[in-house]
This record gives sequence, C-alpha cells and structure tokens, in this order.
Amino acid sequence: MNPSSLKSRFTTRFLRALTKINAHKPISSSSPGPGEIFQRYRRIKVAADKSMAYSVRSRRTWSRATLWRLRTRSPRSRLATHARRSWVKTRSTRAASHGKEKKEDGGTVEAEELRELVPGGEAMDLCNLLDETAHYIKCLTTQLDILDRQECTSREL
Amino acid sequence: MASENDDMGLAMSSISMFNKSPNRSDPFFSTGWDPIVSQSESLGGSSMASHYHLVMENQGISGTSHVSQYQSNPSFVELVPKLAGFDAGNLSQMPGPFSLPQCNQIANSRCPPNFALDEHRISEALVGTSPNGKIQKRSPESDPLLRSCKNGDEEPGMDLSSEGCHGPREQAGKKPKTEQNSGANSRGKQTAKQDIDSSQSGEAPKENYIHVRARRGQATNSHSLAERLRREKISERMRLLQELVPGCNKITGKAVMLDEIINYVQSLQQQVEFLSMKLATVNPELSLDLDRILSKDILHPQSAAVPGFGLGTSSSHAFPPSTFPRTISGILNTNPGFPPLPQTVLENEVQNLFQMGFYPGSTMDSFGLDAGRLKPEM
Repeated sequence: MNPSSLKSRFTTRFLRALTKINAHKPISSSSPGPGEIFQRYRRIKVAADKSMAYSVRSRRTWSRATLWRLRTRSPRSRLATHARRSWVKTRSTRAASHGKEKKEDGGTVEAEELRELVPGGEAMDLCNLLDETAHYIKCLTTQLDILDRQECTSREL
Repeated sequence: MASENDDMGLAMSSISMFNKSPNRSDPFFSTGWDPIVSQSESLGGSSMASHYHLVMENQGISGTSHVSQYQSNPSFVELVPKLAGFDAGNLSQMPGPFSLPQCNQIANSRCPPNFALDEHRISEALVGTSPNGKIQKRSPESDPLLRSCKNGDEEPGMDLSSEGCHGPREQAGKKPKTEQNSGANSRGKQTAKQDIDSSQSGEAPKENYIHVRARRGQATNSHSLAERLRREKISERMRLLQELVPGCNKITGKAVMLDEIINYVQSLQQQVEFLSMKLATVNPELSLDLDRILSKDILHPQSAAVPGFGLGTSSSHAFPPSTFPRTISGILNTNPGFPPLPQTVLENEVQNLFQMGFYPGSTMDSFGLDAGRLKPEM
C-alpha cells in the first residue's frame, strides 16, 4: 500500500472526525473537567482508530476486526461481544487443535501475545498473522505521525 | 521418526529453500486438507488420518493453515510434480519432462528439461504427497493408480499393499517399514540419489516460483517440503517485520524477534492513546486547524512552521473553488523553502480540501460517502 495515499486518506478522515468532535464539545477555554477530557479522549481515540480502519477498508483482517469492534461496542455490547467471542473461539480452537499443542514452543507463546495485540488476529495462522502485523505496524506509525502533527499544531495555536 | 526420506525418495539436492530440520516425517500436511481426509476415509485410511492428526499435533503445525495456504496456493501443486520425480528406484529416469498434463502446465517451464517422469512416478508422487494422493488436481489421473496402489507415505498405520503396484520402486516395498527404517532407507536412497543431486542442483535455480526442493540429507517427504515452505514463508515475513521494527537488525531468532515485535506494537498502541489524550486536552480552533493540518501534513511534512500558512488559513473560507489551486500554488510559490511537490500531492491536497466540505460536490471516489456527512458540520 502506498503510504502517502494511506496517509492522506487517514488524514482527511481523522481531521473530519476531529472537527466533529470539536464541534460537539463546547470550546471552553478554562480547563475542562477530567471526565470531559476523558470522554473527549475516548472519542478522539475512537476517531483515530476508526479513521485508520476506514482508510484500509476491509482489505485487512485487522481493519475488519477493528471496524467490527467499533460498531458493536456499547449499544449491543453483550450480544455482539458474545457472538464475536464464540466465533473467534471456534476458529481459534480449530486452529489450535491442529497445531498449537506445544505451548512451550517459542513460536506459539509469543504468537498468542501477538494475536491479542493485533485486532482480529485471534484466528489466524502465524504466517498471515505476521503479514497482518506488518501492515498494522505500518498503519499505526502513520496514525501516530498524523496525531503527532495534529498535536503539535494544536499546541502552537 | 526421522524419516530422512519418504517413500518417494525425494532427495533433490538442488536447494532453493532454507535447510530446516529434516525430521518431519509424518504427512501431517495431508490431514489439513479436507478432501484428503475424506479421501483417506474412502480409501480406508481413517486410521491414518487419525494418525496424521496426532502427528500434526505433535509437530505443532497448524493444519488449517496448510489447508488455506495450500489449497489456494498453486505453488503447492507445483510441489507435486517435483515430488513425482523423486523415485529412488529410478533416479536415472528422473530427468525428463512430466507426462502428466497437469504437471506439465505447472512444471513444464520449471522442471529441468531432463526430467523424465512418467505417470507411474507422478502417481507415486501424488500418493506420496498425501497418503492417498489427495491432490485434487491429480486425483482424476492418478486415481486408478492410487486406488490400486494405496501407497501412502511412510505411515506405519497404513500397511497398504504397495508392492504389487509399484514394482520398480523399491521403496514401495519399504513403505510400511519406512517409518521404522526411515533413516537407513533414506540414507541408502540418498546415496543413490547423490549422483543425481549434483546434476539437479544445476537446474534448480531455473525455477523461480515457490517451489521447494529437498536438500541433500533432508527429508524429502512432501509434508516436510510443505513444512519447509511454510517455515520459509514465516521467515520471510519475519525479515520484513525486522525491517519495520527499529533496532531489530541484529536479532536472529524467532522468539526474540516476536518479543520485540510485540513490544513495539504495544508501544505504538500506547503512543496512540497518549497522543489522543493529549489532543483531548487541547482545544484547537476548528477551521484553522483543518487548513493548517492539511497543509502541514500534506504539503510540507518535514517542517512544523510554515510561513505560508497564514495565507491559506485566513482565506480558506472566502475562497471560491477556482482559486483554491491558485492559493495552494501561491503558498508553494511564496515559500521557497517548500520542497518541490509532485503534482499528485498537490492534487491530493486540493481534493482533500475539497473534501473537507468547501466543495462537497467534488470528491474522490473513496470519500464519496463521507462528503455528505461533512456538510452539516461545516
């Protein structure tokens, strides 16, 4: 994937979301309460993740998982998470039954950790997991880049 | 069960892949294939299938991965023609073209021209590849042979009468014993193949697709080859990751590398959270930010302070559409410090600015959905 195009896609989406968040929140020059900040933080974080996932669309498993996760959060949380967990469990158990008997094998212990980190990595074999991880890292760095710039710019104002 | 060599006697020394542990005797690979399992049962290899499952678990290999990997991976099919050539008993005949049409379509350009495989060997290859030749592409051709000669891999559970089917193949007779005497057999076969190996090694580099050849002294079982292929893929991806993760050039080792990757991903995620928290505490102004961030990010990614921004920010609201390109180019022209931007970046910038709501009508294809949303915000 072309990083510049990913970057621009993410930038536009994220900035759009950011302006929306800023529009929602009354711009109070005085220090807002911690709850407010936290709420805003949550929104911004969600916006960042969502923007990134939308920029990647469904081309990647992790973006699909992130979008799924974002969509089925609090409103239908119980049903959704339960459904997701059961689906993931069946797939991961199927994968596990085929190959991951040895837990002390160096590849699988870390692979498990990686699976937890990368969204959607629960039901993937190591090969694809590494692929997803590489792409995920690339997108994360892009995300960080934009966030950093945004923060710098905001600070200058 | 260090079956150094499978019944096929696949000991092509032309090495194109990593030299992994050769002790991969059991045809775990086949069990991952649903058609294989079904066929194995049809051919009476249910015990074998169960054995394969055991073996797979022992070897810690994910069968589903193989299914997904290899069923869609034409390279595996390419594996088969290679396996077909491995016949300990008829090493001299190995050079020669594949006679099987399917093999041909895959292996013609790649097999060394002196490969001389006949149906016999190809069926053997199919048989060897999976306990009952479960390669779907091959099955039509080799079914009669397979069914008649259930000469699976070195599967101790499968005592198939293979002697009658593959007469010239001495390993056919050894198949049931391959598991037990795999070491001795393989060594015996490999010595016979070694003179071929040198000749084969010259032709190996010709093949440029993902085609694993067994090295000298390595297990040439189809499953070992598949396993080697899989390991090679994983190593390749680990190398890519090594380049992505900073400071991992010196790390050699899967576990350590994975640890580093995990730490890096965790730190990236934490940074995202941290930065978003920082952004939450800041109260930026709306419109200015848009232009500034966009201009800053896209026009001039390197520097944080660009004098030309004031031009863009103050005039952002008032500019008619046609002047936007001129504005941006004006920014570019007034500031000689700007790096020479490619036209595409400029176009992106313009399009992005359009996208931001000033010109909701003109959008890029991917942003078409979002254009409408932006209007009420702006």
